[in-house]
Amino acid sequence: MTSRASSSPARVLLLLVALSSAACTHVRPWERGKLAHPTMNGAHGAGPAEEHVYSVQEGATGGGASAESGCGCN
Amino acid sequence: MQLARHAFALLLGLLMLLLDPRTAIARDGETPPAADAGTTAEPTPARPPKPPAADSADSSGASGPPAAELATVSTGSSVNVRATTEIAGYLDSTATSVLTPSIAATVESPTAGWAVNGRYLVDVVSAASPDIVSTASPNFKEVRQAGNLGFRYKPSTLGIAGNVGTSYTPDYFSLSASVQLTQELDDKNLTLVQGYGYGHDTIGRTGTPFSVFSRDLAYHSIALGASRVVNSGLVIGLFGDAILERGDQSKPYRYIPLYTPAVAATIPRGASVDQVVASRSQARPLEQLPLQRDRFALTGRLAWRLTSSTLRIEERGYADSWGLRASTTDVRYFIDVSRRITIWPHGRVNLQNGVEFWQRAYASNGSNDIPALRTGDRELGPLRTLGGGGGVRFALGKAGATEDIVLSTTLDGYWTSFADAVYVKERFSALSATTLDVAF
Repeated sequence: MTSRASSSPARVLLLLVALSSAACTHVRPWERGKLAHPTMNGAHGAGPAEEHVYSVQEGATGGGASAESGCGCN
Repeated sequence: MQLARHAFALLLGLLMLLLDPRTAIARDGETPPAADAGTTAEPTPARPPKPPAADSADSSGASGPPAAELATVSTGSSVNVRATTEIAGYLDSTATSVLTPSIAATVESPTAGWAVNGRYLVDVVSAASPDIVSTASPNFKEVRQAGNLGFRYKPSTLGIAGNVGTSYTPDYFSLSASVQLTQELDDKNLTLVQGYGYGHDTIGRTGTPFSVFSRDLAYHSIALGASRVVNSGLVIGLFGDAILERGDQSKPYRYIPLYTPAVAATIPRGASVDQVVASRSQARPLEQLPLQRDRFALTGRLAWRLTSSTLRIEERGYADSWGLRASTTDVRYFIDVSRRITIWPHGRVNLQNGVEFWQRAYASNGSNDIPALRTGDRELGPLRTLGGGGGVRFALGKAGATEDIVLSTTLDGYWTSFADAVYVKERFSALSATTLDVAF
């Protein structure tokens, strides 16, 4: 039961990624000017104090992980 | 535990891949054709650093370096140095104020793919909320210090980031460490991320050494997610978090009023301190929360860059083993007023029900009939919060250097309605932060 429960979110995640991939354009590294814009990063515009306020005022937590897709350099 | 074992196995596998010298070969080191390089709508800056794993030590959930650091543009030097200072102020209608100065710095080599960063902040908290007044305690004043150090190394499509953090007040000491692995696939159009963190908190009482009185709280956090480039301006992502907390996190200061069953039914929402004191029974036990809590969050993100604006939307669904369910929506819309000025409105909505053992007024038939689980923490009760505000960012550097000196300021206001709590029906709060970010 535990094993089934723990694998379900991973399956849903993979399914959603697969579905979203079907509608995606393949973007080359030199086409990533917009993707590399600073405002595309999840941390832009929110400092440590804001995050701390949310952690105190809201019973929920999580969602801090991120994996931005930047300009493709390096 | 099964989940933890699976995540650990995945983590170990990726770590072995990372350490395998064969994986050091860059798979997508393509360079743009000369003709194409000049046709992009915007210049392509050097790769912005990936933020490291979440800093859980300061309970903020803040992850990675400050936002402005992510705007680093390579100046040709192999090492970039940035320093950031922020001062933030918080005020609310329950007589709580917080002043938070912080400093941060990042040293990175965009070409070699490494970065180290650190942050130190101080919270100066002053509170005289009804909860404190109800216990006839003097105003509460406290200073919290928190710091973290992080690193990131991503020489190719595989990357690793780590973070250690600590937070200290005279009655609370927290230590945490986390590691995050990322892997870019499909020419960097798909990024997978997984992370693990461990933290240990020591909960005590002000004026009493930890050796005399303390409680331990340990937590494991596991993060798993993916980010997908949909087109040249749109990225979507889905991230799952599991946080397993073990230990007694009951507040050793929080006393819970009890009432006879007949009186409990008559205590209204927002009952005043005087009303509660006049109605409650003699017994007033301390708060008691369950000794373990399993939290799960699923977060979807969308970032869409248009010609001169960016829309960012984040939606988080949350559930935990205490029965709390929540939905949080956060939206920011950045508008380029000019090359040097960006403004943005910001909105946030948080809705949650209460934990299973939440009661506005706990009923008791005497000292032998005290509810086993009890809390007075309004943030564990049903509530809704609406927030709105915005920010402005000025690039102050010399001509042509829009990221050398950046000054930004934000102001947000929040209205919270507590649907089933005593003392407070609603709360108005405001948060303002000003940040100066300088490249050396």
